[in-house]
Amino acid sequence: MTMSETEPIADSSTPTGMLEGDLVKHARRGDLAAYDELVKRYQERIYATIYHMTSNHEDANDLAQDSFIKAFQALKSFRGGSSFYTWIYRIAVNKTINFLKQRKNKHHFSLNDLDFNTEHNPDLVALISHKTPFREAGLTELQKKLNEALMKLSEPHRMVVVLHDVQGQSHEEIAEIMDCNIGTVRSRLFYARQQLQGDLAEYAKPA
Amino acid sequence: MNQKENNFEELKRLLKLKQHEVPPPGYFNHFSDHVVSRIRAGEAGGSRSMMEQLESSAPWVVNFLRIFETRPGVVGAFATSLCLLLVLVVVFAERADRASKTLLTISEPAAAGSAVASMTSPSLVAASESSGIVASTNPVTSLQPVATLFGQPASGSIFQQASFAPVSH
Repeated sequence: MTMSETEPIADSSTPTGMLEGDLVKHARRGDLAAYDELVKRYQERIYATIYHMTSNHEDANDLAQDSFIKAFQALKSFRGGSSFYTWIYRIAVNKTINFLKQRKNKHHFSLNDLDFNTEHNPDLVALISHKTPFREAGLTELQKKLNEALMKLSEPHRMVVVLHDVQGQSHEEIAEIMDCNIGTVRSRLFYARQQLQGDLAEYAKPA
Repeated sequence: MNQKENNFEELKRLLKLKQHEVPPPGYFNHFSDHVVSRIRAGEAGGSRSMMEQLESSAPWVVNFLRIFETRPGVVGAFATSLCLLLVLVVVFAERADRASKTLLTISEPAAAGSAVASMTSPSLVAASESSGIVASTNPVTSLQPVATLFGQPASGSIFQQASFAPVSH
């Protein structure tokens, strides 16, 4: 098998093959094809962050779309001091936190289904079948409890857990996205984990 | 630190469950299309809402207004402080008005006194008449209107125009 068969050569003249910086330049000039490509690159991560914060698919859908629209309208004010990725993340994070503050404690769950691979994740299977006193509790029940426990956290604490433990972002990236220092990120993460561990004691016991 | 991290290993494994929560199949196939069509619709629609315009031009104002939405107590505190400010302004304005009136009552008799003094010097009047010019006997200071706080001449103040006219004998 030749190289051309496995990896298509990126054409830098089409939005798909362009670098992020070039796409941003084109989008700033009103090129919607370039912006469409930027949306495609980050839609899943932005949606997932908002979804894990709200535990509601419809809210996450609206907020993710609003974040991308707001980013397009504000592209002229994007100075390029950070990457577009960090910048759009920051917009989404602020929008989500504002939304949650307005909604206060009126949580309405609209959880997404677990994918097919969940049942084959050895860690999760072990967690519900061997180490918990509730062996009959299924993954769906565990999912519900986990979301309820997350919703008890304050928005900044939940955001740090979602970005770090669910999405795998580094402390430095989170600090940049949330516009705070790394020490704050670490302390929020520690406090949030402690609280979660207390709420999910029957599933997650300390070692 | 490692001990602390180890304490959360189970929890971190549990949180991995969140990664398996996925939106309905095909959801992302049309997501960007929805975003772009909404942007197009917004551009075709022309003007954005006032709040959206304000959000892009002065986000601090929007953040300030959002505090009012989320914390009703802040609205009360803000309204109270505004009322207090208004009361203070009214009180200070009244005090300033009283002070200017007091100044006025002090300056009026003084001006009248100087006018009387100048009138009682007939030799000066006679000298000016002999030179063929009738001059006002009031001092120059009395010609100036007494200014009030509002820039208008106060009623009852001594106000006289100078007049120079040849006398025919």
